[in-house]
Amino acid sequence: MALLEVKNITKSFINSKKILVLKNISFDANEDEFLAIVGSSGCGKSTLLRIIAGVETPDSGNVLFHGKPILAPTLEITMVFQHFGLLPWKTVLENIELPLEIHGLGLRERGRRAMHFVKDVGLKDFKDTYPYGLSGGMKQRVGIARALALGPEILLMDEPFSSLDALTAETLRKEVLDIWNDKSNVTNTFIMVTHSIEEAVFMADRVLVLSARPGRIIANIKIDIPRPREKYERDKRLFKYVDEIKRLITNNIALFNKVQKII
Amino acid sequence: MKNSMKRYLIGFIAGIVILIISYASVMTFVKNPEIVNLPYYTFRSLFRITIAYVLSLAFGLSFGILASTNKKFSAIITPTFDIFQSIPILGYFPAAIMIIIAVIPGMIGLELASIFLLFTSMVWAIFFGVVGAAKSIPINILDAAKSYGIKGFQFIRHVMIPAIMPAIIAGSFLAWCDGWFFMIAAEYITYAGQVQSLPGLGSFLAKSAFLYNDTTSSITVLVLVTFLVLFINYMTWHRLTEKVSGYAPLIKMGFFGIPVNKKFKKRRLSLQFKFRHNIFPKSIMKVYSINQRIISFIVVIAIFILAIFFIMRKIPTIEVIKKSLFVPEIVNLPMYVLFTLSRLTIAYLIALVIAIFMGILAAEKKKFAMIFYPLYDIGQAVPILALFPILFIYFSQTLGGRLGLEVTAITMLVLDMIWYIFLNITVAVKNMPKETKEVSKIYGFKGIERIRHIILPAILPAIVTGSILAWGTGWNTVIFSEYMSSGKEVLSIPGLGSFLDKQGYQEGNTILLIFLLFIISSIVILMEKFVWRKLLKKTEKYELEA
Repeated sequence: MALLEVKNITKSFINSKKILVLKNISFDANEDEFLAIVGSSGCGKSTLLRIIAGVETPDSGNVLFHGKPILAPTLEITMVFQHFGLLPWKTVLENIELPLEIHGLGLRERGRRAMHFVKDVGLKDFKDTYPYGLSGGMKQRVGIARALALGPEILLMDEPFSSLDALTAETLRKEVLDIWNDKSNVTNTFIMVTHSIEEAVFMADRVLVLSARPGRIIANIKIDIPRPREKYERDKRLFKYVDEIKRLITNNIALFNKVQKII
Repeated sequence: MKNSMKRYLIGFIAGIVILIISYASVMTFVKNPEIVNLPYYTFRSLFRITIAYVLSLAFGLSFGILASTNKKFSAIITPTFDIFQSIPILGYFPAAIMIIIAVIPGMIGLELASIFLLFTSMVWAIFFGVVGAAKSIPINILDAAKSYGIKGFQFIRHVMIPAIMPAIIAGSFLAWCDGWFFMIAAEYITYAGQVQSLPGLGSFLAKSAFLYNDTTSSITVLVLVTFLVLFINYMTWHRLTEKVSGYAPLIKMGFFGIPVNKKFKKRRLSLQFKFRHNIFPKSIMKVYSINQRIISFIVVIAIFILAIFFIMRKIPTIEVIKKSLFVPEIVNLPMYVLFTLSRLTIAYLIALVIAIFMGILAAEKKKFAMIFYPLYDIGQAVPILALFPILFIYFSQTLGGRLGLEVTAITMLVLDMIWYIFLNITVAVKNMPKETKEVSKIYGFKGIERIRHIILPAILPAIVTGSILAWGTGWNTVIFSEYMSSGKEVLSIPGLGSFLDKQGYQEGNTILLIFLLFIISSIVILMEKFVWRKLLKKTEKYELEA
């Protein structure tokens, strides 16, 4: 049994008229896997992630975690947001501590844990800074530390590098991969939503490709490039995957044939 | 941090010392039979405003949080409060006095009525401030809170309260200023044709001007009151804003708008700018569904019927309603509406032109900012209604009674309206995207061209916001200043306000009063629909990002 099973999810929003956003989405995520979901903007990939996080409820279908349906946000699955979602009135350390406090961790233990992750993301010197004093990259590091501090089994990332500049994003990508690789961490399953195909291919074990709205899964591609991936940044195979996915997304006519061939 | 504390303490002590010296010298040199009571009057006014503020805070905060956490509750309560907010307070004050006096007669009743007036003038700023701020909590923060399981009381404590704290303080500051604004109306009350005064600074100002014809002491005390208001503002609301903004950059300024520190020179924006901007976002006009409108109107009408019932002790028959409505003067109603509207329009246009010039100059030229910001601070602190006796005595002596009152009314309206527009315009010019400003530089837009093509379109939404606020406060001022009841004589100029005051204060005609309020509310709503909303729609097409 897979760690996470997404079964037949359909979701629509009513905004003056009904808009179908996701249609019959099904896939599994396995333990220790780095899964990326790509698609053009507006294809519902963020909605999909929010459903997995339990923040949004699907119209039909369900998400099974350890075989049990997710009905509300759980501590075992946490999320990193595109726009960080930090509380501006809490310092770096307080932002990380708050979820721990809410979930009943004692003063000592939450301080220790928050400190551990602040160090982990390299923000020790900024622990008492308020978010406005941080750069985008730093803010996202706080977001990641906050998500990891709860020790979830699955980490969800919603376009985590999209609001960062290119260089910062590159550094942070490698850091995230290091965190994922670090087996001393309890969090080993990462699911990331992105619109950057290069990013998805570079980071993930497997890439799910979503069609334009309504989002359906049009491909499920295993990325067969050894790790650490840094060595293969200019590798031909990597570009081949990227081109393949690009074609899949842009080329509507070839779409169905490709789906047949790949799956 | 330590430095700011030191500055605060020095300011505090210096202010107290100045206050004591000024009080002492005013009490020695000003010849007025009641001047010895000045400290007592100050205490009474402060006490009254403070009680009203505490009540408004409790009410506004609890209902505000309830309305923003409970959708069903909000669907009824928010539009209902919005209707109440749109009715000029001074319009229903006569009815409120009658009800309260009917229940608790005597001075205590009057005191309660004045606290009620102050309360209604304060509470909406806090309530709508809270609701607005709660609504504008960024979605990513709400998502984060949700996904980390922060809910219920924890949500209110860790997310809601800190998020709305700036709005609570800003709303409180506004409410507090409104309290001072209405002080004189709340202390110098006409009831059943007689002037009743409650001990306080407002009644002192009115009495020394009207009864003792002593404008010198009136002006002196008004200056003193203005300083007192400024001092309290700086010591409380401004300080609190600084504290609460510890987690976000704050535009700092020194006393009277002059920067203390060179570092802040670039960011010289008055604190109030921040305040007002926060709670009066561009979307000042709320949108409700038809059902909501209907329900809220029913609730409001029910409350008014209850009020009539309370005064009359019985449900009025059709006969009584007919008799109350068809007073001989009612034929003049269209003319009254026209007069009052022209008064408001003239004052508004004067205020608008001055405010646009001042606003643009203050935002663009440092030299002017050095003059206008302190002027704004002081202009805001002057309780405008308290200017009435002084202005009236002055203008009636030079121009004669009626014309004097007319000029007084318009002058007060201009002084009252100007700051709302000025403030919004300055903030808008300051907030203009840098790129837009640079475009005008690169392509050589200068002078009038620049104002016409770059600045005016950019500040139009701000003008609309400022105008709505200006008209809102203008209605109260016009109701107050079309009718003068000094205790010695009664003088009025034809208009909706004086008609309302006469019917309310002299005749006690509650039914007609409510009818007139209904007319005023309709005018407010119609103007919103056909003027402001249209203008805002226009601007939405090219909305600039701040």
